[in-house]
Amino acid sequence: MDNVATHEDWKVCFSEFGPGLLLFARQWVRSPTDAEDIVQEAFVKFWRRNHRIDNRALLYATVRSIALDLIRRDSRRARREAEAFSDAEQSIEPQFELVDESQQALVAAIDRLPHEQREVLVMKIWSELTFAEIATALGISHNTAASRYRYALNALKKNFQTQ
Amino acid sequence: MNDFSEIENELKKLRPARPSEDLAARIECALAEADRSAITAAIVTKPRRFHLNWLSLGLGLAAAAAFLVFARINVDRTPAQTNRVAQNTPAPSPSSISSFIPTGATQVVYHTHDEGLHFTAGYEEPMRRIRYQKRETLQWRNPNTGASLRVSYPSEEVVLTPVSGQ
Repeated sequence: MDNVATHEDWKVCFSEFGPGLLLFARQWVRSPTDAEDIVQEAFVKFWRRNHRIDNRALLYATVRSIALDLIRRDSRRARREAEAFSDAEQSIEPQFELVDESQQALVAAIDRLPHEQREVLVMKIWSELTFAEIATALGISHNTAASRYRYALNALKKNFQTQ
Repeated sequence: MNDFSEIENELKKLRPARPSEDLAARIECALAEADRSAITAAIVTKPRRFHLNWLSLGLGLAAAAAFLVFARINVDRTPAQTNRVAQNTPAPSPSSISSFIPTGATQVVYHTHDEGLHFTAGYEEPMRRIRYQKRETLQWRNPNTGASLRVSYPSEEVVLTPVSGQ
């Protein structure tokens, strides 16, 4: 089977999925360092088990599972981080590369989305997962994934039009 | 979906921040480390040889002997204790107990909770964990006397289903 994860092509896979995975992980932990730790653990776990590299749903499910485990393990620290983030949002490293003023407003609107809508949006827009893959990764139905995406776009569109 | 094409284009213009160079190096180290530990484990693992532990054997035999002595004493005392118990009601005869026949068993699931995907040790694929909370009721009836017996108890069942996205 050609497209099984092997050590030769992990860098290609990582350069393709890395930014999307990191953005996905940043939803649970605001610190970029913690997000990178989660991505590292998930990626190594995924790679060592020789899954098919086109099984992106499993890769995202692994990131999500490890992030949730981290939060459960260290809920107090996560709460402190969340408080620190709300107090000093500017000090946090940006989740996106250089953005202009209108894009900053869009990023802020994405941050205000309900969590379940934001995770679908991140997987759909920046990782280009299909709704079927998103549904598998999140353990929801295909229709639920599609409707969460539409709700998210609708909220962002309203925000975009008011500017 | 065409209504959203403008906002989708705006979103796609945003580029997620790239992971640090350090992260790729860390992953490379972790994968190499994983390989090394797999090789080491293969080398270190030897077939286990049978080794008789005389101390454990002695303790085991002593415990077995003590158990047999106490069991013997209890067997001897049992008839005396039985004679001292007053019986005000006749004990049910085996035939009356056996005449209860099962008449029904119901299982009502009153709550189902999907706990999402979990990685269980020893399994390659993730498993979906669903917790069912139920009330189970078993019924028996004695056709000779018309007596019925019903036992109802809450129960919880966790079902792990392998999930494969491939």
